[in-house]
Amino acid sequence: MATSRAATVAGYVIGFALLFAIWHFAALYLVRSALFPSPLPVFERAWMLIEDQILQDQIVASMRRILQGFFLGSAIGIPVGLAIGSFRPVRMLLEPWTEFFRFIPAVAMITVAVIWFGIGEESKIFLIAYATVFVVVISTAAGVGAVGKDKIRAAQCLGASRFQVFALVALPATVPYILTGMRVAMANAFVTIVAAELVASNDGLGKMLWDARLFMQIEDIFVALIALGLLGFLTDRVFRLLIRAFAGRFNPTM
Amino acid sequence: MGLVALEGVGKVFRGRTGSWEAVRDFTLSLEEGEFFCLLGTSGCGKTTVLNMLAGFEAPTSGRILLDGKPVTRPGADRGVVFQGHDSLYDWLTALDNIGFGLRLRGVRRTERRATAERFLQMVGLNGQGAKHPSELSGGMKQRIQIARALANDPRILLMDEPFGALDAMTRAVLQAELSRIWAETRKTVLFITHDIEEACALATRVGVMKRGPGGTLKAVVPVDLPFPRERTSDGFMRVFREVHALIHEEIHGGH
Repeated sequence: MATSRAATVAGYVIGFALLFAIWHFAALYLVRSALFPSPLPVFERAWMLIEDQILQDQIVASMRRILQGFFLGSAIGIPVGLAIGSFRPVRMLLEPWTEFFRFIPAVAMITVAVIWFGIGEESKIFLIAYATVFVVVISTAAGVGAVGKDKIRAAQCLGASRFQVFALVALPATVPYILTGMRVAMANAFVTIVAAELVASNDGLGKMLWDARLFMQIEDIFVALIALGLLGFLTDRVFRLLIRAFAGRFNPTM
Repeated sequence: MGLVALEGVGKVFRGRTGSWEAVRDFTLSLEEGEFFCLLGTSGCGKTTVLNMLAGFEAPTSGRILLDGKPVTRPGADRGVVFQGHDSLYDWLTALDNIGFGLRLRGVRRTERRATAERFLQMVGLNGQGAKHPSELSGGMKQRIQIARALANDPRILLMDEPFGALDAMTRAVLQAELSRIWAETRKTVLFITHDIEEACALATRVGVMKRGPGGTLKAVVPVDLPFPRERTSDGFMRVFREVHALIHEEIHGGH
């Protein structure tokens, strides 16, 4: 176990180092353009932005929107998904909604969001929540549907009421599906926040990308891109840890 | 009148592709404290009989009584041990799985643990209580299922080919353990199997079913042999041959 963890960490370190090495090589010897900076000036620029508190402010602005919208979307999505999975009438009533809205991407909703909520926080939180909710609904409902028949029957012949079957069997058996849905939704949230901030925002990593393009600050663009990649990587790690902690022993294949 | 009465019970499944008569005119009375093995070829409807008695499925004709009261749905008076071990709760420890029925009834935690601990010991899993089902072998999982059903103190234990998926060695060990547990608790058991030797080793009575569709009870063979059963004894051989002859007719035509 300890060796496999060390191997995993070493793999990541070497993998990232290789990525930067190839980038360095490509910038210096292959592309050789002012529009494609090598890693060193980008890291120098990143350090400056960190010293001036600018990068942190943009990250905090974006992450706050992501988390607020994400938790709002999950808070709506989980109960709705449980209801769809548990009750046939609810499923028949709400399935057309989820099947309809999940094909309207959150980026397409930016225009309406800005018209309704302005360019402040509300429009971004709305968009992230929108991007989150349907993924969570669908995977939660699927999880409820996948609870083994014998698990429910066993509870019934141990004397469980309908409510006990739901709260003590169906719900815990669905947790791995809920967490997996939230993990996918988090990736959607990253896509959405950048698009939303590109179009209408006063701060955030998307806004940083847009301004850097306007003023041709190519290093700033790369700093923002790397920040997005690292943030996404870290949040996904957190989710994997959560899934393992809460659900790993439920299902060894996860 | 027995503990359980199945009176002219029949079950017809209706699907899109037509209907299937699983059980026809099944009549049986189970006495308190007996170990009844229901033996039959695959597709004879033996599991359907158990599912109806458990209350998972409703009969399409006849009626089922437990203590004189009609069975309409699953209840804590009928404990079930399933063939597969998907019925265990992966997110709970072995001990919490065993105490699950007590938890449903609101029994306090300390009392629940003490009872669960006692049944864990009864099925021979001392010291394994903190493990989760994914950390246990197939045989251990079936032991947990048996302990979980017994800890709830049902009127009757319904077992649906509980050792069917185990290897021969583990199966023999668990059969011996089940015999011992039954002798300790004197719980009424209905045990479904397609294994003649298993039926003869465990039962006080063996019921042989006609083959499906429309399976029904063909004959009941009393097994008056002492426990633990000696499988190479003359008495055992005699019962085995008798039951074997009855099953043989079902496999090779001869209605």
